[in-house]
Amino acid sequence: MVHGIWTEKYRPSVFSEVVGQDEIIKRVESLTNSLNIPHLLFAGPAGTGKSTLALIIVKELFKENWKENYLELNASDERGISVVREKVKNFARTKSLGNVPFKVIFLDEADALTPEAQQALRRTMENYSSTCRFILSCNYSSKVIDPIQSRCALFRFKLLEKKDIEKVIQKISEKETLTISPETIEIIYEGSEGDCRKCINILQSTASISPSITPDLVSTMIANTKPKDIKIVLDYAISGDFQRAREKLLDIMLKESISGQEVIKAIQKEIWNIPVEPEIKVKLTEKTGEAEFRIVEGSDPFIQLQALLASFVLAGLGKE
Amino acid sequence: MPWTEKHRPKNFEEVKGQDEAIAKIKNFINNFSQTPKGGGGQGRWAGNLKKALILYGPPGTGKTTLAYVVAQDTNSEIFELNASDLRNKAKLNEVLRPATEQKSLIKQNKIILVDEVDGISKVDWGGITELISIINSTPYPIIITANDIWNKKLSSLRKKAELMQLKEINYKTVKDILITILRKENKFIENQILTNIAIKAKGDLRAAINDLQTISNLEYPSSVIFDERNKETDIFNSLKQIFKNKPTNETLKIFDSVNMPIDEIILWMEENIPYEYEGKELAKAFDALSKTDVFKGRIYKQQYWRFLVYENILLSYGIAASKKNPKTGFTSYKKPTRILKIWLNNQRTIKKKSIAQKYATYVHVGQKRAMNEFPILKQIIKSNPQIQKELKLTNEEIEYLQPI
Repeated sequence: MVHGIWTEKYRPSVFSEVVGQDEIIKRVESLTNSLNIPHLLFAGPAGTGKSTLALIIVKELFKENWKENYLELNASDERGISVVREKVKNFARTKSLGNVPFKVIFLDEADALTPEAQQALRRTMENYSSTCRFILSCNYSSKVIDPIQSRCALFRFKLLEKKDIEKVIQKISEKETLTISPETIEIIYEGSEGDCRKCINILQSTASISPSITPDLVSTMIANTKPKDIKIVLDYAISGDFQRAREKLLDIMLKESISGQEVIKAIQKEIWNIPVEPEIKVKLTEKTGEAEFRIVEGSDPFIQLQALLASFVLAGLGKE
Repeated sequence: MPWTEKHRPKNFEEVKGQDEAIAKIKNFINNFSQTPKGGGGQGRWAGNLKKALILYGPPGTGKTTLAYVVAQDTNSEIFELNASDLRNKAKLNEVLRPATEQKSLIKQNKIILVDEVDGISKVDWGGITELISIINSTPYPIIITANDIWNKKLSSLRKKAELMQLKEINYKTVKDILITILRKENKFIENQILTNIAIKAKGDLRAAINDLQTISNLEYPSSVIFDERNKETDIFNSLKQIFKNKPTNETLKIFDSVNMPIDEIILWMEENIPYEYEGKELAKAFDALSKTDVFKGRIYKQQYWRFLVYENILLSYGIAASKKNPKTGFTSYKKPTRILKIWLNNQRTIKKKSIAQKYATYVHVGQKRAMNEFPILKQIIKSNPQIQKELKLTNEEIEYLQPI
């Protein structure tokens, strides 16, 4: 079946097609060939091939039966470990098909689980170790508790280098008969922050407008992916108009359903463009970091963001 | 006879601690009598003169007393309707309307008193609407009393009436009144006990007098300890106390008497901080609020409920302590609207979520990431029918993707 979505269409399906993670591929490939893998932990930034590699492993192991022997869960979507456990249990209850004695469960974004949920997961991994192998993926291995790390073989994925991304974009552009200059490819790479999935998505969305991929078109597309008008929010705050700042903020967050984390990322970058003393910029950055930390820990994003805006109001006063 | 009745003030001189309210009510009745009578319909009440006055405030602050005193003062007959009467539409029509249409037989003037209007219940169907229609047609002043006038069902009534808030009576004033009563009754009670009664009454004079009477009948009054009345404070009041006053240890208990879950109180504080504070105070108050929220999160996460103590202190004392000096003046506090806005928006983005969900499963990513990358995904999906088919999008979902 040919996919319309390029991230699927051009997803590597064999080890040799994967770019940028040569060392990991070598080791994982030999493990897979032995038809016996340990639990695996893939750590690394988004869009570096973690899910892709997991899929290749199961396809190599189970061949045409891979769908029956493979369960994919995303920890950031599943509410609570109990759901995960239910699904795992139901899946692991039946024996695997074919000549491999186990099934594979891929738990994506495992670092989104709370430490307590991870403790529960650890028991689950042990209880089903005879019938199931787990492949966990995470952005930061430090957020995965030690007992789980110690049960897994850990692989650290590197951010893709520019040349790797260039290769991918070149290849797709040829197959899709797009015209694209090296300069444009560079803009895509910069906008993607080394995330290969994002690169391909930017490319496809631009191509949906015109097969001739120009720098302007790409820049517009990238700008569209970022929260807009955060600057306006900060301008209101700096000028002392807290009320309008928070109204605008809520408006942006709701209309475009942008998460608190996305907003804070934009705020953090915007700090360097506001007219305050260097010393204050440092303080604001620290405040921003604290707010981000709290949001990640599960605080109410809007309350934390308002507290942050109030610090910007204060910074604005200090300017005069 | 209860002392609260026996010693109810008969004239304005005897009413203590409510000077502002006295001035207002006098003014209200005077304006009324000076307005030319005669003719018919609403035309008589030209200008912005309102025909009803709502006295509102906590129990035992003198609302009903003031109504009776002003009647005495202006030689008026009082026609009273209170919560013990049924006050539905039919009853008001049958009892109150005729009273507003006849002249007083015994006195020169007449005042209509609708006591405890917030007690008009569901049984009193149509009561408020009928009351408003009576206000429109009556030639006599109407005085209405209530504890809490911010209830939604009273909003239309609020617009029709002048409002006068009666404050809780200062404990020193309460104590002075208790001493006056004791003198009249020829009794003696230790000073310390009087102070205790006055403080525990928390501004409710009626409660204080009741306690006084009870104690004076006991043989060993000093051995008695009263339970504090559990008084319900409305949210507006507690906001006012936190925002306007200096924090005291009493501030810590403010929310105990508010009948509202703390999560909702947090929203009220969040909404109203900027109406009261600015600059440094604003930043400090929001800092306290954001820490409140952090502790709230910790409770949820770890199910460790002692953190509630910190949540409470930061939310009350923490925000109260953000200001340098006490604040004066009236601030109109607003209802929090954020949750409603979020809800409305969620209704609008349900389709977006379902599309993101389908996409996420299909390309092996989390739903959150798909939501974050939605602007670019939308561009990819909307112009490609093949992808729409692969994702098994419904017609409504496809429609959602098209520009309007």
